[in-house]
Amino acid sequence: MKKVTFIEAITQALDEEMARDERVFLLGEDIGLYGGVFKATKGLLDKYGAERVIDTPISEVYIAGGSVGAAMVGMRPVPEIQFADFITPSMDQIIQQMAKMRYRTGGQWTCPMTMRVCCGADVGGGLYHSQTNEQWFVSQPGLIVVMPATPYDAKGLLKSAIRGDDPVIYFEHKRLYRWIKEEIPEDDFTVPIGKAAIRKEGKDITVVSYGLMYHRSLEAVNALEKEGISAELIDMRTLLPWDRETILESVKKTSRVVLVSESSKTGGVMGEIGASIAEEVFDYLDAPVTRVCGIDVPAVPFAPPMEHFFLPNADKITRAVKKVLEY
Amino acid sequence: MPANSKTAGKTTLAEIGLSEQTLLGLYTNLLKTRLLDERFRKLFRQGRFAGTYFSAVGQEATTVGPTYGLRDEDIIAPSHREIGANVTKGVPLEVIVAQVFARGNSPDKGKSHPCHYGWRPKGVITPASTVAGQTIVGTGCAMAFRIQKKDNVVLAFFGEGSTARGGWHEALNYAGIYKLPIIYICQNNLWAESVPSTLAASITNFSDRAKAYGFPGITIDGNDVVAVHKTSVEAIARARSGEGPTLIECKTYRWYGHSEIDPADYRAQAELESWKKKDPLPRAEKPLMDLGILTLEKREALVEQINQEIDAAIDAVEKAPYSPPEEAYNDVYSEQFPVRREEY
Repeated sequence: MKKVTFIEAITQALDEEMARDERVFLLGEDIGLYGGVFKATKGLLDKYGAERVIDTPISEVYIAGGSVGAAMVGMRPVPEIQFADFITPSMDQIIQQMAKMRYRTGGQWTCPMTMRVCCGADVGGGLYHSQTNEQWFVSQPGLIVVMPATPYDAKGLLKSAIRGDDPVIYFEHKRLYRWIKEEIPEDDFTVPIGKAAIRKEGKDITVVSYGLMYHRSLEAVNALEKEGISAELIDMRTLLPWDRETILESVKKTSRVVLVSESSKTGGVMGEIGASIAEEVFDYLDAPVTRVCGIDVPAVPFAPPMEHFFLPNADKITRAVKKVLEY
Repeated sequence: MPANSKTAGKTTLAEIGLSEQTLLGLYTNLLKTRLLDERFRKLFRQGRFAGTYFSAVGQEATTVGPTYGLRDEDIIAPSHREIGANVTKGVPLEVIVAQVFARGNSPDKGKSHPCHYGWRPKGVITPASTVAGQTIVGTGCAMAFRIQKKDNVVLAFFGEGSTARGGWHEALNYAGIYKLPIIYICQNNLWAESVPSTLAASITNFSDRAKAYGFPGITIDGNDVVAVHKTSVEAIARARSGEGPTLIECKTYRWYGHSEIDPADYRAQAELESWKKKDPLPRAEKPLMDLGILTLEKREALVEQINQEIDAAIDAVEKAPYSPPEEAYNDVYSEQFPVRREEY
């Protein structure tokens, strides 16, 4: 066991998968010579050469669409989108090609690729370097959407994504890169896609979150525990297809739920989960399904007080939990 | 525009620069494409299949010429008017017909719209309707071939209208930097649905666009199948040997509307008539007749044979069932992630 940061876990996964499988290659902006703007691909150009660690021009359409083509003819591309805010030009290729290739070809052609997307706020990034934007993709069947919260999951989920036969969008929260450290096994391991993790068992209420918000929720749940409130904390890990069984069973057990996401409330994955809870386990509920999300504004504003105002935090989550418990 | 009559008027194979087999092969594929395409138009008007139909009549040489002689593992990255590339690549007629009829035995199982042909055994990518989409994806295939050290090539087909899209430029820019094994075939048929090419770009020859990406751009008479084939063969050889992409602009014309529901009343009848005089089919036929390779009798027999093949394919396909509706749930993900069945 060795203690690694979140970003070291990502670099290790890339390195190990490239060593294991020569079909795996990386492409993206500033990922080669520079080693990535956050250094996720540091050292990989020297180790694997320019044919497998490709510095692309500023061409997000091509990064996405070119990866689709390479995946179709036997490669395992791992493109990087430097900031989730810059993924918009890729949308056409992600939605029309990456997500639909297997479907529209009747399964003749598949798209085994893993798009790494650096995302998230609480770093003073402003409007165009802070969005998570996973909400745009969770409504597109054909895509797998994951967002790890721990170094162990960051490594294990990335390996599963690269080894799998489906197109994955892998969101990595930049606030976690160097903040979260964890001891992880040195041997090869994977984390299954599609399975949530119950991080803390509890009986009074279920709190569901992912990414950075998992850590904010953990802080809230630990504080609540000191007040004698037993909350069950779920880290979704995979957002599409999400783990219905784990979440719905937990809600059936606790009868109360708070859903936490960094992205805005409207149109996010938590709306879908809330609707499914209402649809399928309504009889078990003792209180309204409640969401704590980023506020419904176009993007994360820059000035620190406004950025923090935008984001959910432990206090907001704690207040929401208490309100649901008092219902 | 290079005058086709120069080649058509020549009477020896040496002067044309192609073998008898190639000249006849090109013609046969043109003829087959034309007969099948006209048949589909008729079948659509009879209500025999759903959706609409995108005819390529008039511009067949632009797809037959480049595709003739390719290997199975070479990739075709098409749009919706590449019936000729499918025929020439050797996709069986029954597979092509099943796709148009959206039957369960279509390679896409009926999921894609008519004319979105795709068949993996012959390297044809089932296209998306977003034009130039496959130009980008095809460039990615070429990127993979480079990494894999394979000498396969990709033919990407698109209309002149598609070259206004940003992603098209990103793909060609990338292909130029890495000298990828891809040939970009621009079918300049003067009309992007209803928008004239003069409103698609401020240049006359769309091949000029290649200059910006550092590889050759060539404009040719797209209705001269010999010229299209010979130009493509050179470009393909360059691509296979690692010398990079070529943009070939084929000047051509589509005789009918964007699809069968488009009367194409935005363009002048005189323009259509002038292009009909440049029909690629009789132009491909003339040297064969001049050289005695083809006779009227032989042509009759060839038409008869192709029509019988088409009849047989249609008969077989029309008897075939659609996929069961629940097929809609399949091919979303690998077997690891089955889609949840809804019960209402």
